[in-house]
Amino acid sequence: MKRDVKIVKTYTLIIGCGRLGASLANELSELNRDVIVVDRDKNAFRKLSPSYGGLTLIGDATDLNILKQAEIEMASTLIVVTNSDNTNIMVSQISKELYHVDQVITRVYDPERTFVYENQGIETVSPLILLKDRIKMLIHN
Amino acid sequence: MKKHAVLIGSFNRARSLAHSLLNKGFHVTIIYHDLEKCKILAENESINVLYGDETKPFILEDANVQDADLVISLTSRDEDNLMICELCKKKYNVKKTFSVLNDPLKTEFFYKMGVDSVICEVNAITNVIEQQAFYEGIATKITTGEGRIGIAEVPILKESPSVGKKLWEIKLPKEVIIGCIIRGEVSLIPRGDTRILIGDKLILISSNDQELTAIKELTGRI
Repeated sequence: MKRDVKIVKTYTLIIGCGRLGASLANELSELNRDVIVVDRDKNAFRKLSPSYGGLTLIGDATDLNILKQAEIEMASTLIVVTNSDNTNIMVSQISKELYHVDQVITRVYDPERTFVYENQGIETVSPLILLKDRIKMLIHN
Repeated sequence: MKKHAVLIGSFNRARSLAHSLLNKGFHVTIIYHDLEKCKILAENESINVLYGDETKPFILEDANVQDADLVISLTSRDEDNLMICELCKKKYNVKKTFSVLNDPLKTEFFYKMGVDSVICEVNAITNVIEQQAFYEGIATKITTGEGRIGIAEVPILKESPSVGKKLWEIKLPKEVIIGCIIRGEVSLIPRGDTRILIGDKLILISSNDQELTAIKELTGRI
């Protein structure tokens, strides 16, 4: 009898171990989620806390081989937070288009480029818009 | 009306492309991110030069990409090229976008994202270098089938081990055929009992991994 083995995608892949990437990794790992952080600079991983229980991978995430090495097919969530908008968007599009990752969340500094990634199932967060809304709220209060 | 071409993001390549496009009667705009280099580019009065970050939509708008017939993205970063082409395609409805690409693995992905023509530099350059530097045994080489198949012209010299042999006597790898033999002014379509002579040029069609073995077998050198 052949039984279908359902692959359970459970882990979170974080691209970019800057302040945001590292602190997200720390907190998700604290919540017992499986996490892999990718950064091309090995010193970036020093920002991870000593209790960080996930994996790290040194490499350029725009390289398909690195994404494969990070087992992107198995990721349920991808968080792309490098410091370059164009890199973020390309990595997100690769993971949606080629690897069909369920949830892709990307940081985009410059919201002017929405045309490029809208309607592709990529969730974007823009610090500019968040700050603007927050400041407007403070003014109204 | 003149056709309008926008070249983005590389000094040397944009400059030489601009010259050939101007000769073909195009109206040329170059966008580049280095002010000094822009000044040099602007010395040619028929080129429109724009200084700024190439991947920003408002810079592209300043260059009038919405009216361009051709946008060629030449930056050294794949992600920038993709961004430029996608903006041109999706926001400004440019008819034809070209992009250079460093990583050959992403060729298909670029096409999927709507870039009309993807030129993989690494492939193109390695092919040329291979042809010119590595194989003494080859006179000309053409690559086809997305780089998997090579068509090579192999000259037979008097010291080649295959001289005087019939084709079936030579142990060629499986994925290699000799498509044609050029002998002086005539070209022969070879059969198993065709004999190889000094001065022949063999047109070899082969998969890339088998090519070297075959050339070694025929000429005794690589």
